[in-house]
Amino acid sequence: MSGLTTPEAVAELRHELRTPLNLIIGYCEMLLEDATDAGSRAALEETLAAGRDVLDRINAAVPPSRGEISEADFAALRNALREPQERIFSATSSLLAQAGAAIDPQVERDIRRVRSAAERLLTVELPQGGGATHVAITVEYPTHDPAAAGPAVQSAHVLVVDDQEDNRAVLERRLRRQGHTVECAPGGRTALDMLDRQRFDVVLLDVLMPDLDGLAVLERIKANPATRDIPVIMISALDDVASVVRCIERGAEDHLPKPFDPVLLRARISASLEKKRLRDIELEYLREVGRVIQAATAVEAGTYEGGALAQVAQRDDELGRLARVFDAMANKVKDRETRLRDQVNALRREIKEAKGATREATPREASHLPTGELFAGRFEILEEIGSGGMGMVYRALDRELGGQVAIKTLRPELVQDASLVERFKTEIRLARQISDKHVVRTHDFGEKDGVYFLTMEYVEGITVRELLDTRGKLGVAPTLAIASQLAHSLVVAHEQGVIHRDIKPQNLLLDASGVLKVMDFGVARLADQSSQLTEVGLLVGTPAYMAPEQMLGESFDERIDLYAMGVVLFECLTGRLPFIASSPVALIAKLMMEKPPAPMELNAEVPSAVSALVLRLLAKEPGQRPASAAELVRLLSDLG
Amino acid sequence: MPKILLVEDNEMNRDMLSRRLVRKGYEVALAMDGLEGVAMATAGGYDLILMDMSLPEIDGWEATRRVRTAESGTRVPIIALTAHAMSGDREKAMAAGCDDYDTKPVELDRLLGKIEALLGKQA
Repeated sequence: MSGLTTPEAVAELRHELRTPLNLIIGYCEMLLEDATDAGSRAALEETLAAGRDVLDRINAAVPPSRGEISEADFAALRNALREPQERIFSATSSLLAQAGAAIDPQVERDIRRVRSAAERLLTVELPQGGGATHVAITVEYPTHDPAAAGPAVQSAHVLVVDDQEDNRAVLERRLRRQGHTVECAPGGRTALDMLDRQRFDVVLLDVLMPDLDGLAVLERIKANPATRDIPVIMISALDDVASVVRCIERGAEDHLPKPFDPVLLRARISASLEKKRLRDIELEYLREVGRVIQAATAVEAGTYEGGALAQVAQRDDELGRLARVFDAMANKVKDRETRLRDQVNALRREIKEAKGATREATPREASHLPTGELFAGRFEILEEIGSGGMGMVYRALDRELGGQVAIKTLRPELVQDASLVERFKTEIRLARQISDKHVVRTHDFGEKDGVYFLTMEYVEGITVRELLDTRGKLGVAPTLAIASQLAHSLVVAHEQGVIHRDIKPQNLLLDASGVLKVMDFGVARLADQSSQLTEVGLLVGTPAYMAPEQMLGESFDERIDLYAMGVVLFECLTGRLPFIASSPVALIAKLMMEKPPAPMELNAEVPSAVSALVLRLLAKEPGQRPASAAELVRLLSDLG
Repeated sequence: MPKILLVEDNEMNRDMLSRRLVRKGYEVALAMDGLEGVAMATAGGYDLILMDMSLPEIDGWEATRRVRTAESGTRVPIIALTAHAMSGDREKAMAAGCDDYDTKPVELDRLLGKIEALLGKQA
């Protein structure tokens, strides 16, 4: 069966037939407006009449309402058009002959256009052979059509895949004329073979093919990383919108309807190439943005190697400039950090050497973790960095997330009671929500082989305890710097409902850039609730930093942190504790009965306002201390 | 002198219709595909647009929709031109935002009547 069977195909045919008519009638009418001599006018009138005759016959044979046309109908129309077409040829021939050499060039060109439009009418054809689903109308445009000739904007190596030989031939010819190189494949399997062996810039792929159809070929092209990025333009009949949509959903770049319009062909191919070119540029750009981001992450982790952005820095756009500026800044930061770290490390070494003997003597804890081994399946224990009332502290490498963490193991005695552990978990959950640059971040609470442990942010730095041990006391300015940062961290924690309970110099870390970080928020809760608190050797925290109400086990609130902070500041300013006692009992007695000395009496450098504030923090009645950490921040800022 | 933007991809159609309009006293600017048409139309300065419906890049319906979307304030009249290939073309054109519709082959007097009616309405 042949002929056109869908309204879209018939519409396409009407379009092809009527477009030349538009030119014949339009140019004729215009030429008539200018024609002065009777002979020319008569020939033009004749041409115009013949053109209108053709139009009438087309409209009669293929009305817009027509949904199909048989081959016989089309042949009848072709026959009916032949006579008026002949009239157009003879009238235009006589026009050109009459005018002779003196003819106006534009008039001559217009007459030739009328003729060529009439010729084009003759070339409109129905597809020959093929099934009813393959509707193709071959319309050869005149070769002077500017859209069809001339070099292509971008020359490409194109693969044409179509089972119909004439379609392949038409496409190949057109593409070559547009400046491309072309290979043809008569079916899907051949096409895939060719794609394996050769590099193509664009694939033109017929949707309907017998052995392996366009959709299947497309899916394989898109599934193969080597061919995935090649733009594929589907070739389809006008009525096959559904398959085109399916193909585009599966990654086809565009589609090209049959019959092939050279303008459209050119536009689609160059658009696909241009899109691919832009996509390639964009992908490269994103890759390089990725490198910059990676570099930023490396700077944060302290692993940035200078020159890692050398390639990006070569770009002459904004990204290149960013990379150059970033690289320079990162190198400066790295230098500075290295210098600071060296200073801190020197100080640490000094402290370690001084304490070397005592550390050696420290007995091994029950929860001791051997260094160099993997703990809880993911933490590589690097070194022991401290021990205290709660347990041991280690520096470890988190194999799962990368980066270093601090691991604090908890003495088994502290975690014997399951309900206590539950309450402790609640506290840790709260503490974990505190995100502040002055708070050492708590990550997790876990248990492995009976060892309970906390993981937290690892901060390279030294504790205020170590500073005090090596220097005796700190100056007024460093003390106030510590005070304001500590007060700030308490504001944030208290807002979250977390009381630290164990503020002391051991828990205050100064990192390499001098930023104070407070450790162990919420951790003291465990010891605080433990029934074994009073057992000798298990006393968590130092009683010296405890507020009277905490020491006596009365109800207390966040103002115990303010008291402890007062003790820390006292110690920083004077190099000694507010109360000196030979036993815990004597300490409690003094804590209850005696007023601490004023820091300014022990250190003449301490201004009276600072001295008075420290004494206020050390007030035995919570009501006489600053009302909150926030108020303390204000009082400290008033000190200047 | 009213200024008309003619959006038409076929070089000969463009040549023919623009010359005929110039003869009738219009100033004519030319766009060769839908994208160019939208770009020129949104840049402004035209009293009326003649829009061929079968255009490369984006077709006339889509181009008309884009012109209408980009417009603020004055609405430039658009006349759709089609080869009247299918019944329903007119409805489709009006739905896309065209003000009127004409078929090719162009009957110049009829088209001029529509142009003048729209320009008169606008003025």
